[in-house]
Amino acid sequence: MAAAAGPAVRCSLWQRRSLRCGPGTGSAPLPARPSGRPAPRAGACPSRHRCLSAGPRPVPGGGAPLRLCSTQAVPQAGINKPVIDRIIRVDHAGEFGANRIYAGQMAVLGRSSVGPVIQQMWNQEKDHLKKFNELMVAYRVRPTVLLPFWNVAGFVLGAGSALLGKKGAMACTVAVEESISEHYNNQIRTLIEEDPEKYKELLQVIKQFRDEEQEHHDIGLEHDAEATPAYSVLKTAIQLGCKAAIFLSERI
Amino acid sequence: MATRWPGATPYSPIPAAKNLPGGGTGQERERKVVSKGNQQYPPLRALQASAVLRRASDEHKKEPLASSSQQHFDSPPAGHQPEQKPQGPHPSYTGQGGQESEDYESEEQLQHRILTAALEFVPEHGWTAEAIAEGAKTLGLSVAAAGMFRSDGSELILHFVSECNSKLSELLQKEQKLVQLGEAEKKPIDEFLRDAVEARLRMLIPYIEKWPQALSILLLPRNIPSSLNLLTSMIDDIWHYAGDQSTDFNWYTRRAVLTGIYNTTELVMMQDSSPGFEDTWRFLGNRVADAMAMSSTASQVQSTGEAVVQGLMGAAVTALCWKS
Repeated sequence: MAAAAGPAVRCSLWQRRSLRCGPGTGSAPLPARPSGRPAPRAGACPSRHRCLSAGPRPVPGGGAPLRLCSTQAVPQAGINKPVIDRIIRVDHAGEFGANRIYAGQMAVLGRSSVGPVIQQMWNQEKDHLKKFNELMVAYRVRPTVLLPFWNVAGFVLGAGSALLGKKGAMACTVAVEESISEHYNNQIRTLIEEDPEKYKELLQVIKQFRDEEQEHHDIGLEHDAEATPAYSVLKTAIQLGCKAAIFLSERI
Repeated sequence: MATRWPGATPYSPIPAAKNLPGGGTGQERERKVVSKGNQQYPPLRALQASAVLRRASDEHKKEPLASSSQQHFDSPPAGHQPEQKPQGPHPSYTGQGGQESEDYESEEQLQHRILTAALEFVPEHGWTAEAIAEGAKTLGLSVAAAGMFRSDGSELILHFVSECNSKLSELLQKEQKLVQLGEAEKKPIDEFLRDAVEARLRMLIPYIEKWPQALSILLLPRNIPSSLNLLTSMIDDIWHYAGDQSTDFNWYTRRAVLTGIYNTTELVMMQDSSPGFEDTWRFLGNRVADAMAMSSTASQVQSTGEAVVQGLMGAAVTALCWKS
């Protein structure tokens, strides 16, 4: 975005960013170019918190509390910030959307026979979202502006597919989880191409989540998703929507 | 078209064109080489200018102009374009000798030094090429150094803003370390924001006379991407050190509110003639308090709204279940 900035500006900008590195990383005054130099603390867990005082303090503005402890931030020097930004932003949006989809499905089918199955899948998605919230703070990534929109759209999709019946809900699950698995695979490829050592932790997280989404996909198939009337039409439409959502969330 | 004349490479400097054999006017060929050279190396002129400056400034430097240009052209990717980020304290030029590469600095570092030196002349000359020229003079360079920069002083202003942001960042980080070590009390949010914005605005005080001019230059369409980028990263920094860990739309709301506070306070400061800018700080305190009050009202409205929505959804689902 700062394409017009003079070199002096960019130089200072990067200088400033390197000061945000986690303690003890000892980065050079001018950070190395993104490719090639491994992060000094590859093992630093972004979710390790150092709470120095009593619990989180509720903020008047609602939303996430402003915690008194400081999250161990991931060292910012040496990582390909634009790529990581996109990855975390879109994954966070995806898990948020998946959460809302399952919430919508539970709202309709919560008391039916597939209720417990959906609830269990929803719980796993909640864990995923929590993990991405932590990663987002650790890497200082901005969330997508479209979150309120995905909030509503996800719920509507979940509830809408559930209104088509249990098979409809499962078909929606299959379509979404297939999209997400493919998307995670692409990200794993990207990260491996970049530098598997530097992004080892992130890769581990994404691989684990991909496996769990694949499980959801299989559960959906087990519950007769393919027997839904107009299954292929529904599936294609939902997957197109997912692709659009991914495209937008990466950028906006 | 890329005609390759014997002996001419895309990297050869312009004077070499005169030695080319073959038909066609020498001028024509020169123009072709020049345009080709300019196509591939937009900062060619700036590079040659900086090379001239170095020669003019340091009579003891033994490397001649041609060979230094050759040196540039031998390693084209290494930091030639101003858009490239610096690779480290010493760029990877293939120097002509060990001691040469130690003295050698990249163009960006040189520009950084000139702009920093120029800042002390801003109260006198404003954000102009004159200030940059004076700054270059103090470094022992020729006043032609100002030619490296645009004539409206944008780079000087952007450099200054960037330096202020870095200083603020360092300040906030030091404060955070003190709190982590238990040597200082964690400030409440409104006090933290107030102090951070005040600290940042105080950096403008030495240049306050000429700052309105700077603001208007920063609003030029050409400068807006950079100035917006600097502003947003500064606000993001302040919120980060304030402890913001929001991952929903609050992220945007908080930053928008703080940006508003910062901009309005800056404008008030331009017109403030009270001793020690106390009117400005009072204004800042009031705005921050307003923001805190507004956010608590907003959260109340939000929770009410959520309850209403849940109720409606429940009613809708129940109605549907009854129908079927």
